[in-house]
Amino acid sequence: MWRSARFNPSVVYISIMRLLLIEDERKVADFVARGLRAERFAVDVAADGPAALQMLAACAYDLIILDLMLPGLSGSEILKRIRRDRNEVPVLILTARDAMAEKVAHFEAGADDYLTKPFAFAELLVRVKALLRRGPVNRSSLLLVGDLELDRLTQQVKRAGKRIELTAKEYALLEYLVANAGRVFSRTMIIEHVWDQSFEGLTNIVDVYVRHLRAKVDDPFPIKLIHTVRGVGYSVSDSPDT
Amino acid sequence: MNTRSLRFQLIAWYAGLLAGCFALIGAATYLVLQTSLVGALKENQLRRVRQICQLVLEEAPRDGEGRVSEQIEARYAPGLNDRFVRVTRSDGSVLYRSGPPKGRAFDPAELPALVWPARSETARQVALGAGRKMLVIARDVQMPGGASYLVEAGAPMDEVQAHLRQWLIFLLAGLPVVALVAIGGGSFLMKRAFLAVDKIAASAERISSQNLSERLPIAQSGDELERLSIALNHMVDRLDQAFQYSRRFVADASHELRTPLTVLRGELESFVQEPQMPPEWRERLGSALEEVERLASIVEGLFAISRLDTGEAQAEWVRFDLAQLAASTADQMYLLAEDKRIELTCAASKGVWINGDRARLKQVVVNLLDNAIKYTPEGGAVMVTVSAIDSKAVLEVADNGVGIPRESLPRIFDRFFRVDKARSREQGGAGLGLSIVKSICAAHHGRVEASSAPGQGSRFRVELPLAAPSMNNQKQYDHEH
Repeated sequence: MWRSARFNPSVVYISIMRLLLIEDERKVADFVARGLRAERFAVDVAADGPAALQMLAACAYDLIILDLMLPGLSGSEILKRIRRDRNEVPVLILTARDAMAEKVAHFEAGADDYLTKPFAFAELLVRVKALLRRGPVNRSSLLLVGDLELDRLTQQVKRAGKRIELTAKEYALLEYLVANAGRVFSRTMIIEHVWDQSFEGLTNIVDVYVRHLRAKVDDPFPIKLIHTVRGVGYSVSDSPDT
Repeated sequence: MNTRSLRFQLIAWYAGLLAGCFALIGAATYLVLQTSLVGALKENQLRRVRQICQLVLEEAPRDGEGRVSEQIEARYAPGLNDRFVRVTRSDGSVLYRSGPPKGRAFDPAELPALVWPARSETARQVALGAGRKMLVIARDVQMPGGASYLVEAGAPMDEVQAHLRQWLIFLLAGLPVVALVAIGGGSFLMKRAFLAVDKIAASAERISSQNLSERLPIAQSGDELERLSIALNHMVDRLDQAFQYSRRFVADASHELRTPLTVLRGELESFVQEPQMPPEWRERLGSALEEVERLASIVEGLFAISRLDTGEAQAEWVRFDLAQLAASTADQMYLLAEDKRIELTCAASKGVWINGDRARLKQVVVNLLDNAIKYTPEGGAVMVTVSAIDSKAVLEVADNGVGIPRESLPRIFDRFFRVDKARSREQGGAGLGLSIVKSICAAHHGRVEASSAPGQGSRFRVELPLAAPSMNNQKQYDHEH
């Protein structure tokens, strides 16, 4: 399904991670669970607060994805109970509200990450994996995709053994895509990671930088590594078509 | 002085009314005075005429006409009293005429004779020249023998005229005094009354969509002004509610739209990345996803504006250098300009310190620069300047692009407003960038304005309050030591 996993050479699952998705919107729960299962996670879905508490009591989860607006018992109440039971499981909060004060309050209550709807699934996945750190993220300083080499320590880029000179922003963009090779990133995600939130809505800046990057990284070579996925964004992989 | 102000009109009306009344009453008293003075004079002369007639009737047949003259002179001595007496026979010859008066006020010989036969007891005013007049009463006497005489008695009206003139002078002098007193007193009273109105106006002026929770001060005076301020406050209440409702609506709507957008986006994304998807379908799904993305960004923009407008988004205020922020942001957007071969320059004098939310104000710079680059054709120029003018930090973004048509200029900061609908949508804007800029500026107690010469370029000017200078000095001091 989510073919991206197939192309990521660094993904090595040691054991199956078990996630609890607490989300009352059935359709949101459906596609999130489907996507996560395609990434070989075991996913349980709870549609309301009481059900979530039962599942939490019955099973030890590696990560909880928690929607804040729940019938019966609010997401913040569930978060409080989890932390009161001295359960240190990482909690990623999903919400349609994003007032800054609320965000701070939830981090203080013990949330580990926060994602505002509507989110791109790719971003949820990146954050889930970041919270689970323990496995799929490539920590080595040398990143490889096809014949492209990135050295995170020296910030040097080589392709087919030849040095490529990049500006700081170009390097940051390339590193972000290469570190998560095979994954498709939306322009918004790229802006948030490579620039900052002030540039949100200014998606053409990403296109301009990608164009410059392509001129240096792809144009002199027959195999193209930077791919455009229409409507979604960009990815780096050595697969010829995406 | 504003001639259309209520104050001016009321004072003018009252002063005019008072002066008019004064003039009317003055005219009436003048007429009454004139009538009574002339009447009294007339009454006197009439009495004398009657007495002389009696004398003529009694003396003439008994002692002859000569005796009559003596008697008149002896009894009335008209010359000494400044009076005039004349007795004329029916053939027009004069029987008696008083001598010249002591003060030579008139010459009895020159007084014209009454045309015979006179009607009984007629009064006439004879002009003496130089505006002076004389009142003359005439009466005829029929003697038993068939002869008849005309008796005339007169007195100069000098005294009456003098009295009337004095009264007129008093009236004419009094009129401006009355008018002045009315204007002076009126403006004093009006000032007192309108001071309260001015106060209400000034307070009402301060209330804008940014501080609708403020209310007018209510003076417990029990008068119409108290009622007015209460009524105005009620109106502000209703406005406040309406504004809150519309903001809540935008916030709720964007909130409610997020969940379906999440589902749409998630489902479409999973389809787009399906390996068995035919390329044409993938194209179509991608196109749908692009629209979802745009919808999401509109929702985000609206939500951001509504949060800024309700003041919810002012969490992280720090002190920072606006010039440095503008310079670094321009630097980050350099490639965007270079891509269109636009020359992007930044002239920012260091140390323009302001207090505010750095990320938000960066967004102001980003949006204005993006806008300028978007609407400047290839090979153009965009210039950012930051300076401290008086107590304000001024950020200007100027370009030599297509400019903004005059009729669009007032609406340029409205939500969803686009100068050229088709063109702008193609470039991916939702029409919210500039309204976000405006909301951010307002939330920082500043303002933004746009000016443009179509075809020559546009200039956006942001004014924000400078941070207090004391800390700035402190910083410089720290630097030097």
